[in-house]
Amino acid sequence: MTTEVSVFYFAKSAELTGLKSETIRVASELTTVELWQDLVSRHPRLSAVRDSVVLAVRQEYLALGDVRVSLRDGDEVAVIPPLSGG
Amino acid sequence: MAEEVSCLKARLMEKEKEIVALKNKLALEKNSLIDLQEKVTTLPPLKLKAALSNEDIMRYSRQLILPEFGVQGQLNLSQTSVLVVGCGGLGCPLAQYLAAAGIGRVGLLDYDEVELSNLHRQVLHGEDSQGQAKAQSAAHAVRRLNSTVECIPYHLQLSPENALQLIQQYDIVADCSDNVPTRYLVNDACVLSGKPLVSASALRMEGQLTVYNYRGGPCYRCLYPKPPPPEMVTNCSDGGILGVVPGIMGCFQALEVLKIASGQGSSCGQQLLMFDAQDAKFRSIRLRSKQASCAVCGENPTVTHLVDYEKFCGSAATDKCRRLSLLSKDQRVTVQEYKSIVDNTAAHLLLDVRPLVEVDICHLPTSLNIPLSSLEDRKSEHIRVLKERIGRVKEQMSNESQVPVYVICKLGNDSQKAVQVLEKMSGSEVDFVTVKDICGGLMAWAQKIDPSFPQY
Ligand SMILES: [Zn+2]
Repeated sequence: MTTEVSVFYFAKSAELTGLKSETIRVASELTTVELWQDLVSRHPRLSAVRDSVVLAVRQEYLALGDVRVSLRDGDEVAVIPPLSGG
Repeated sequence: MAEEVSCLKARLMEKEKEIVALKNKLALEKNSLIDLQEKVTTLPPLKLKAALSNEDIMRYSRQLILPEFGVQGQLNLSQTSVLVVGCGGLGCPLAQYLAAAGIGRVGLLDYDEVELSNLHRQVLHGEDSQGQAKAQSAAHAVRRLNSTVECIPYHLQLSPENALQLIQQYDIVADCSDNVPTRYLVNDACVLSGKPLVSASALRMEGQLTVYNYRGGPCYRCLYPKPPPPEMVTNCSDGGILGVVPGIMGCFQALEVLKIASGQGSSCGQQLLMFDAQDAKFRSIRLRSKQASCAVCGENPTVTHLVDYEKFCGSAATDKCRRLSLLSKDQRVTVQEYKSIVDNTAAHLLLDVRPLVEVDICHLPTSLNIPLSSLEDRKSEHIRVLKERIGRVKEQMSNESQVPVYVICKLGNDSQKAVQVLEKMSGSEVDFVTVKDICGGLMAWAQKIDPSFPQY
């Protein structure tokens, strides 16, 4: 089973992927680390921010790891590295 | 004789008038002189305020009649002290609204001085405060706005040595800093002294805000246990920023500080508020709670005192540009050396590797522009142009030696990276070339060779 979700890239991740958002097809049942690996396979440069990124699904933070997530059509996934400027 | 006397009398009267004017001026200057702190001192407690004066009532009337705020909210504000870490694009609007609303005491910390390129976003400073300490300049603006607010400017760098003593003396801390080591330092100092941290940041067309260490919510380290690799951090002088973006985020920070200070409480304690200025959209991400495994606020903390944050983050506690040193001496030329190459009309290719938007600001007349990112990605159309231009230089050369390529950028960091990329390409993807970078880039050119060349 796969599903279509919108991925939003913020801050450094938008620079690394060259995209602000995209629609992708992924497995509907997977772990957060599998979801992350899917994004990295599309945009290898993303791997540089792996340890300092907030991953959110449906506007909710999810830890990167063995955390199960069920995705539905139209869900919003956000990749959010911290900003430090002021 | 009589004429001489009246003439003297007139002169005397002139002088007396002058003395009065000077005395008034002196009194004014004295009044506006705010003691700039070069180190952390112990402050007396805030004066207790039991009731509002008639002047207070008039000044704050529009917020007093808000049911969410009221007289108690105003009195709570007047009993609250806030430390603003950084008087830049975030700190300026923040300090302005805190003072306007009648906060009791505001500490304004910044180690830097006001520069012309700050004024588009650091709106408390003016043209006449260039060169002044930002803390001093911000304090003057705040004093002008509301003289009843106690204002303490600190012209110093927050460090592991002074942070705890300083932060312990304030009720709420607002992080308006511009670099990663300071963000970890402020976080740890807030956790160790039990203070809520209203943290905002901004870059380019984006902003973020979270209240850390507040009512059981996470701290900065709970969310970001590891600092980002230094090369993954972009600062405002490299990445650019539209002034109003930190303006909006600083105002948001002021809102959350005022809600906490007045007693309403903040709802950003477990929430990451994101602002996308391009799409005019706010998003709010629900964060995880405080982490038991957190190095500073967890159950078995390993960070029990402040550490070396520049070492921890691998970068300096400033947003000034880092100076990379990737190349050996024989792979680099100075701007003076490059100038003599130009003067001798020696055949060469000058490659400018800045992004197009910066080339539009200024560039040297003969340069070929290929952004570093295009070189790294081997963009085919750019590689084609590069080959063509190398070929043309080769035709001009009488001997069989390799085509010299000089790489330039703004400050001489990206040009070094580009030299490394080009050396890999030399002899395979393009003809054999001898590549060198120009130390210090176009800004060194402007400073040392051509004073009419713009600096940015
Ligand atoms: Zn924590």
